[in-house]
Amino acid sequence: MELFTFHRVQVMGNTEVNYLRSLPAEQRIPSFPRLFEFDIPCIIMTAGNTLEPELLAIATEHGVPVFTTKYETTKAVYFVGDFLDDQFSPKTIIHGAFVDVYGIGVLFVGRSGIGKSEIALDLIERGHRLVADDVVMVIRKGESILMGSGSSLVKHFMEVRGLGLIDIRSIFGVRSVRFQKRVEVVVQLEEWDDTIEYTRTGLDTSETEILGVSVPHIRLPIFPGKNVTVISEVIALNHLLKHYGHDSALEFSRRLQTMLEQKADADDKSDPMIDWLEHDFE
Amino acid sequence: MIEREVMIKNKAGLHTRPAAALVKIASRYQSDFFIEKDGFEINGKSIIGVMTLAAERGSTLRLIFEGPDENDAAIDICKLFDEGFGEP
Repeated sequence: MELFTFHRVQVMGNTEVNYLRSLPAEQRIPSFPRLFEFDIPCIIMTAGNTLEPELLAIATEHGVPVFTTKYETTKAVYFVGDFLDDQFSPKTIIHGAFVDVYGIGVLFVGRSGIGKSEIALDLIERGHRLVADDVVMVIRKGESILMGSGSSLVKHFMEVRGLGLIDIRSIFGVRSVRFQKRVEVVVQLEEWDDTIEYTRTGLDTSETEILGVSVPHIRLPIFPGKNVTVISEVIALNHLLKHYGHDSALEFSRRLQTMLEQKADADDKSDPMIDWLEHDFE
Repeated sequence: MIEREVMIKNKAGLHTRPAAALVKIASRYQSDFFIEKDGFEINGKSIIGVMTLAAERGSTLRLIFEGPDENDAAIDICKLFDEGFGEP
């Protein structure tokens, strides 16, 4: 009895119900209330089983809800587990714009008024999909997946300074939105600051933490006239390339290294024949 | 950092017009302004954020101000809540 994990959802499947049925009535009914000496949250009867009216009355008396489902125990436990996981997973709200760019979830953050919404709008115009603007709900699924979505009230609405509230889904159609997306890259927009050394090679990647999960973090300095939309697309594509095992910065660095090694060799190994064939005569 | 607890007093709650008024005032200040309700914190300078709260009459909000002009911002914004946004 000490090992009874009473704070969990109690599931009664065929085995438990058959056991209860196997007991004679004079034993079954007095023994049932002992279950409620513990503060159990609810009972779920699976595979279409039901509680006898006498037992159901005892549960009701103790204020414990009883549910029944037609699903088998394995399936019911899976659904309940998944649902509870979703409901109790760590959540946070992030002030930013969240867009699916070429299938990569890019979350734009930065101070109020820096132009997150405008960048999102520009990306939507170019065929990418808005997940949420201004209020991005992020939940952690399992240990390492961050899921971002909009709140139910302001789903796919956006505020653009000077225009007010606009409904992206109505204006751009259903292809311009999606309901949730994994957060894969965080892009921090900031005013160009001469005192900060921005990465020039991309070899030194940085990460940020959301709900204890590390996400690639890019500090993007902006100034009027800079095409942040195109840069955002490149960020997403570069992330995609890295995902498939190609790191642009590393690749360039490797090429340089090979060339330097060849030059260091007294005997130049580059083949003049290959150079000649690759030459463009146009 | 300044923290204040306020209650929504007007009948209609924190709907579009008061939300717009709130954001307008908050944006005048340099300080960061956050509103917390039911464990969620949103940026008080974002109209979408404020509207997401869907704060009804009687609900309490925690206001958080942080920055160089946090005192003035707190006074100004709390006044708006105390007056029920000038609505019945």
